[in-house]
Amino acid sequence: MLDVQGIRVAYGAATALWDVSLSIEEGELLCVVGPNSAGKTTLINAIAGINTLSAGRITLGDRDITRLAPHRFCAAGIALVPEGRRLFTEMTVLENLELGSYIPAARAARKRSLEMVCGLFPALEPKLAQPAGALSGGQQQMVAIGRALMAQPRFLLLDEPSLGLAPGIVLDMFGAIRKVHAEGIAVLLVEQNVSMALQVAQRAVVLEEGRVVAAGTPDELLARPELRRAYLGLDAAA
Amino acid sequence: MTFPSFTLLAQSILAGIFTGAVYGLLGLGLSLSWGMLRQINLAHFALAFLGAYLTYQFATYGGLDPLLTLLVIVPPFFLAGIAVHWVLTRFQVTPLNSLLVTFGLTIIIEAVLQWIWTADYRRLESSYAEHKFQIQGVYLPLPELITLGLSGGIALAIWLALTRTDLGKAIRAAAHDGPIAAAFGINQRALALVLSGVNAALAGIAGVCIALSYTLAPSQIYSWIGVVFACVMLGGLGRPFGPLLAGCIIGISEAITMAVTAPSWAPLVSFSLLIIVLLLRPGRV
Amino acid sequence: MRRSLLLVLLAGALFAAVPYLSLPAYYESVLYLVFHWIALATSWNLLSGYSGYFSFGHGAFFGIGIYTTAVLASRFDVPFLWTLPAAALLAAVVGAALGAIAFRVKAVRGELFALLTLAATFVVATIVLNTPIDGGPGVYLSAVPMPEIGPTPSSSFYLLALAAAVLTIVVALLVYYARFGLGLFAIHDDEDVAEVMGVPTFRYKVGAFALSCALAGVVGGIHAMFVSYVTTGDTFTVTLPLTVILMSVLGGTRHWAGPAIGATVITLLLYSFTAGDSAVLGKAAMGVILVSVILFMPEGILGYLLKKLGRKPEAGRAAQAGLPLSAVPAEAPPEALPPASAGEVLLRASGVHKSFRGVQALRGVSLEVRRGEILGLLGPNGSGKSTFINVVSGHFPVSAGEIQFGGRQIAGIEAHHIARCGLSRTYQIPRPFAHLTVLDNVALPAMFGARQLDRAQAEREAWRWLAFTGLTGRARALPDELNLHQRKFLEFARALAAQPQLLMLDEVLSGLTPSEIDEAVALIRRIRSQGTTIVFVEHVMRAVMALCDRIVVFNQGEVLAEGVPAEVMTRPEVVSAYLGKPMADESGAPVFVAEGVHA
Repeated sequence: MLDVQGIRVAYGAATALWDVSLSIEEGELLCVVGPNSAGKTTLINAIAGINTLSAGRITLGDRDITRLAPHRFCAAGIALVPEGRRLFTEMTVLENLELGSYIPAARAARKRSLEMVCGLFPALEPKLAQPAGALSGGQQQMVAIGRALMAQPRFLLLDEPSLGLAPGIVLDMFGAIRKVHAEGIAVLLVEQNVSMALQVAQRAVVLEEGRVVAAGTPDELLARPELRRAYLGLDAAA
Repeated sequence: MTFPSFTLLAQSILAGIFTGAVYGLLGLGLSLSWGMLRQINLAHFALAFLGAYLTYQFATYGGLDPLLTLLVIVPPFFLAGIAVHWVLTRFQVTPLNSLLVTFGLTIIIEAVLQWIWTADYRRLESSYAEHKFQIQGVYLPLPELITLGLSGGIALAIWLALTRTDLGKAIRAAAHDGPIAAAFGINQRALALVLSGVNAALAGIAGVCIALSYTLAPSQIYSWIGVVFACVMLGGLGRPFGPLLAGCIIGISEAITMAVTAPSWAPLVSFSLLIIVLLLRPGRV
Repeated sequence: MRRSLLLVLLAGALFAAVPYLSLPAYYESVLYLVFHWIALATSWNLLSGYSGYFSFGHGAFFGIGIYTTAVLASRFDVPFLWTLPAAALLAAVVGAALGAIAFRVKAVRGELFALLTLAATFVVATIVLNTPIDGGPGVYLSAVPMPEIGPTPSSSFYLLALAAAVLTIVVALLVYYARFGLGLFAIHDDEDVAEVMGVPTFRYKVGAFALSCALAGVVGGIHAMFVSYVTTGDTFTVTLPLTVILMSVLGGTRHWAGPAIGATVITLLLYSFTAGDSAVLGKAAMGVILVSVILFMPEGILGYLLKKLGRKPEAGRAAQAGLPLSAVPAEAPPEALPPASAGEVLLRASGVHKSFRGVQALRGVSLEVRRGEILGLLGPNGSGKSTFINVVSGHFPVSAGEIQFGGRQIAGIEAHHIARCGLSRTYQIPRPFAHLTVLDNVALPAMFGARQLDRAQAEREAWRWLAFTGLTGRARALPDELNLHQRKFLEFARALAAQPQLLMLDEVLSGLTPSEIDEAVALIRRIRSQGTTIVFVEHVMRAVMALCDRIVVFNQGEVLAEGVPAEVMTRPEVVSAYLGKPMADESGAPVFVAEGVHA
């Protein structure tokens, strides 16, 4: 179980997250939703080890990973699909995928993982030798997810995977996320597209201005006014 | 302007390639350092000359074969490279300031060289210099061939390492996007240190080659700076074959200019090329 | 400033008396060298230290000066003193030409400019060597008559060098305290923002470069006579620019006196070592000093000392023209702009497109901003709102389309012209000029904006806007001493100091606490009540609802909806843009009904 307890993250003088707590069980799919600049990317980067905490703890099972060096998070079982993909654009698709399995444990299973990723995203197979930067947005997103899967993670972190993608591709992608989840990998999904997110989620958390304002199952949240207010600024009475 | 004979032209082109090989060897470490680590290491040249002087010393007074001095020079230079990088990172030196700090290092090394070996010209007399091959009236001296071999061979080795090995790909990834590379387990700090060590070792190797073919004097350090920077930028930062290819182009155009007009016009070629590239394609760098 | 100027002139007068004291000749030689390097380092610093564009080509212009004098004096019998203005002029022209080309290319910054100028040195050297200018053997000036300025020939050189040093320092001082200097320092800290605030960056950089080269040319001319035999090998070296950089960095590049201090220290140090063996030791010491200074004292000796004494950098400050705090009312009565007809269109964008390397950020955006209103720009992440602001303010050029502001076409004109038309913006992540005080940060747009105020007036304006935003107490602080809330308010004060007709705010509220947000909302209301039109990109919905008269919703680079907030936010297409479209199941029927949200 991945447990985030009361974390605070600051960028210089600006505090982006205030006392945020959440937890993901093994094999669960948790969504984090909220308007822009609510702190969603900051949260996911903190869990991936990219942002340092100014307060709070993160534990993985019974291991405290708060002070872990950034390059050790992958070996701990956490893989990141960053916002905006952040592929190594000058390198080929294949190289990007290979780098996903850089850690020794994943390297041993590289061939098998590659077959799995190509099975999940058949459109990538003909493109393996092309530079990653030459692919379309949707294909790049597939590579980014594939790269993370190559690390054989127990927890997959996805930061706004639908950003900038055409609706049809978004459908395919959420289908793939569902399949990945079905394999038993826990997923933390940060999404702007609330409807989609709440359809795939088992539980969800609403973030607003750096704080958790609501949590629960999708049905519970849809019935509450916090979502509408956070996103649309409308009161329940309006 | 007299049009040269075929032999003269061929010899000039060859001379240009040989010069290009040295430029390439010198430029390789600089290019990798600047392209992948965002550090402009002006001290690279001084380090190379330190290697050259050590080669001269071991060969002339120790009777050691110049090529064997490679074994003696490479390990300590590797460590020196790590040390310099560690200092630059620890103090969070910006790329521009790294230029200045390494200039300071250059001055220190130059002073040390002058202290130990004086400002007199030194020339390594080796058995290699006596051997020359001849094809169709064109001469191919052995030391220059060795340099060409080393330069091409090392560029190839580095290219293979960067494109075929996991470690090399990890270095490229870390240079492109450090935090994300780290998110996939790549220890970019450790890799950067290793790369710096390699670059310094390359400087040492370049020094051995310089000692084989050129006369040494501490002030000579500066005469290489301009043209090698031109090679590095023309070849594209971080590309293993870049400095070598650009070096050959510049070397050949310099040699032909020298053969066709006066030798002193040669620098105009390389630097005008550099200026043009900087203005037209600055993003390439 | 007047005090410093008098001090410099006084020092100059005192040193001018030295030749008449009948001291041994080597004092004059040493001091000649000191003044020579002071002049070279200070002239270099004019462009490179002030604006941050480190030139490695100072040797080229020094060399042009040397050869101009050498050729004119020895071959054309021009009297020596007349060659000096010629040297300055030629060096300035070449420098201006090189600068005009180099600065046009936007990507040439920092290290690239350094290498470009280094390459230029070699090109000039080769041309000089291979043409009749030198031709190879060098140029002899021993036959050129030396004017008698001092009691002995060596003292004449001494006095010339002294004059050059004083001239250069005075120029550096005057520029430092002038609007020109403030603009250069702003360019150093953040060139793009300086341009958007109205600083004519291209003109200033070329001007500083030309000035720097002219002065180097004069020093070269004098030195030609001094050495009396010039060759390209000794003149166009790499060590000259490197030495000049070392001296300036050691002394402190952000101050007019820094290079002079560095030059003095280094020259005296080197001179004391040149006795015999220690020349090498001196060189090593110089290297050690350079390395240590960059690592431990990047601000240089002067910068370090000033920091220790608690004094802040005073670039661009007039002689203590700031008003005493008591003279500034706690809340200055807002000077309302002439009430133009409300509702008239102030800004009109038509079919604005913007692409970045194939990615279309804006696809044909058309909207209007009416005078006196607060218009909100909303939309999901990546929908193009910030890009729109960047394009209107001139931060990025448009790919296609027209933008009219107050009847004038502004699409594609340089950003500093747009600022002069009365358009001002804040940055989502505050970008103050890090090395200027809060007061100077606010005074700059007043000086370079639409009203083009002079120094003293701009500072009065600055005090007013600091009071308006509650920052009076922090006027003399540096921006990194402020917390986020204060830095955001500094962005406000800076944008307002230009007294714009249109103010564009880019996510000013992100990162603030709820009570800070309330304060900011109140401030925005006050700004509007003065007659400023406001365009406002924001995500904090309650602020948007509270403030905006109208809103425009962006989605995927296009305008999706426009109108009154409460009405627009209930439209189905807006709701689905924000909350996302529902996924259909295999039968095609929507699994999730959007109306559920309205329940």
